Amino acid sequence: MALPGTPPRKQRKIMPILEVGVLVALLLVPLVTSDFHTIIASRMLLLAFLAISFDLCWGYSGIMTFGQALFFGMAGYVSALLANKAGFVQIWGIVPVSMAVGLVSAFLVGWFLLLGRRTPTIIFVALGTLTASYAAERLVAGWQWVGAANGMSVWDFLKVGPYEIEPGPTFYYIILGFLIVCYVASRWIVRSQFGLVLAGMRQNEERLAFFGYRVQRFKALVFSFAGMVTGLAGGLYAFHEGFIGPGNLGIVQSTYAVLYGLFGGVGTLLGPVLGVGAIEMIAFNLSDIDELKPYWPVVLGAIMLVVVTYRPTGITGFLVSTRERIGTFGLIRDAWRDRPKPDDGGSGGPA
Amino acid sequence: MDDAIKLVFDVAAFASIMVLVVSGLAVIASLMGIFNLGHGEFVLLGAYTVFLFREWGLPIWLGMMVAPLVVGAFGAGVERTVIRRLYAQPVIAMLATYAIGLIIREIVRGLIGGKYYAIEEPLSGAFQMGGISFSVWRTVIICATVVTMVGAWMFLTRSRTGLQIRGALENAALARASGVSTARLYALTFAMGAALAGLAGALMVPLFSLSADLGVRFLVQAFLSVMLGGIGTFGGPVVGGAMIGSMVPGFQWLREIPGVAEQVSPVVAEVLVFVTALIIVKFWPNGLISAGRK
Repeated sequence: MALPGTPPRKQRKIMPILEVGVLVALLLVPLVTSDFHTIIASRMLLLAFLAISFDLCWGYSGIMTFGQALFFGMAGYVSALLANKAGFVQIWGIVPVSMAVGLVSAFLVGWFLLLGRRTPTIIFVALGTLTASYAAERLVAGWQWVGAANGMSVWDFLKVGPYEIEPGPTFYYIILGFLIVCYVASRWIVRSQFGLVLAGMRQNEERLAFFGYRVQRFKALVFSFAGMVTGLAGGLYAFHEGFIGPGNLGIVQSTYAVLYGLFGGVGTLLGPVLGVGAIEMIAFNLSDIDELKPYWPVVLGAIMLVVVTYRPTGITGFLVSTRERIGTFGLIRDAWRDRPKPDDGGSGGPA
Repeated sequence: MDDAIKLVFDVAAFASIMVLVVSGLAVIASLMGIFNLGHGEFVLLGAYTVFLFREWGLPIWLGMMVAPLVVGAFGAGVERTVIRRLYAQPVIAMLATYAIGLIIREIVRGLIGGKYYAIEEPLSGAFQMGGISFSVWRTVIICATVVTMVGAWMFLTRSRTGLQIRGALENAALARASGVSTARLYALTFAMGAALAGLAGALMVPLFSLSADLGVRFLVQAFLSVMLGGIGTFGGPVVGGAMIGSMVPGFQWLREIPGVAEQVSPVVAEVLVFVTALIIVKFWPNGLISAGRK
């Protein structure tokens, strides 16, 4: 690496400003809007988990997943079953169970699709996740015990001890708390040395494999973690919406995960969150117009087409430079610290 | 014995449909390295064209003749506007075709609603042969598939354009250097693949009912077939398509075994097909046909 003659210039970073801005805005939502809008916003937050998990897979580790909703919906179904069949609605149980369901199911799918003697092709992974999601939707829609095509209603509220959490500001802040935890954890992972390996994989997977990295294991790890993140949201979603249906683990919801991520901008964790906000807000405002309603998914498809063709970095691409998006993993700073000093001797050339 | 012949006949009809769908998908994937995730919706578009003809009061068979042309023209349009920009990035192209598929599916859903429409066979009835009755329409499907496949094979092996396509498949850079316009070939191939999908959609719509999610089902099955057969050869995807196409009704038929039907619902049987295919692909990632050669 060519060393700069002066200490690395402090880059003006936009990402932290954006992150803090979004956080403050999210914290203020229940204070400035009605309960009705807070409930809509809570729903968006839950979908943000889904979007982040897609981004972890596609944006950070190159796993093209068209079935991310599978883990979301599975966790939702398990927690709805816990509530309806066992009467268990305590949040301290629901959240870990949802996370475990997401983690285990994602691990199993990832294990089958990613690990093995041969490196799977990207189309195999894309198709495998799509098939898994499609098959799960079909199975659940034909299974009477879990409500078949009608899905399951969850009448009970989530509880903390004896207190019921109704959808509203309290539930909103609980979801936001979990989202912040997941966001920080994901951010830590993708900015750590582990994340550096992921960045390398994105650039040239083969080279990383020659360096001795078990590339597929890294992918399986990220995939499982992403499943856990979205599983957590799925469990809460069943209680927040009071409903979980086959659509929640099928192709449609999975497609939305892809859309949120691509529209917001993959490769930044904030992008998908913004993507969810933008798409869901437009959808919410358009849903009043009855003539447009059936064609809303068409508009989404068109947006996706335009984004992937002309604007692969999504809306965050307008705000954040590529350099900042990828990050430096402390390399420039370290290189400056370890630069050869003039008085070191030894490297002074022929004397 | 009669039942067995009838079963083989029915399975052959479904397998023919799948072969048509798959060959369209595979020809695009082999030549350009782009997996068209909107292929299922091309099939849907073909089926919808037939539906439109019926709505307009025109004969259904005319709709079936026109459907491949309509879908082929649409495919050419898609290639010209979107896919052409993305040859260098096949993965991005896949996302783009996924978006195109989404647009088609949702437009059709908006037009026909969430309903299922049954479309009658243009040639209904059955004929007797050796005391067994065969559905006329299924016979037409099988014949049409055989004719199309033989035609495609002749085109690829005997015509000048077919030679150029095979050359471009082998080594695109060398083909360009030799003065073959690969861009033109790609456009032609994409349109041809789309037309095959349209034909498949038009022919099979009397067997399945028309609904917006028709394409998704075929997409999953077609992809499994392509991966099962392996790309890059003419025979591979055809064999893969025939396998998946016969496994789907075949697994349903297995439910006839006493005691199985109570345990295994039709949906489970369908999912089992996917699982079986995925497991095969997992262990033979290059497909069954090309596996021996490489």
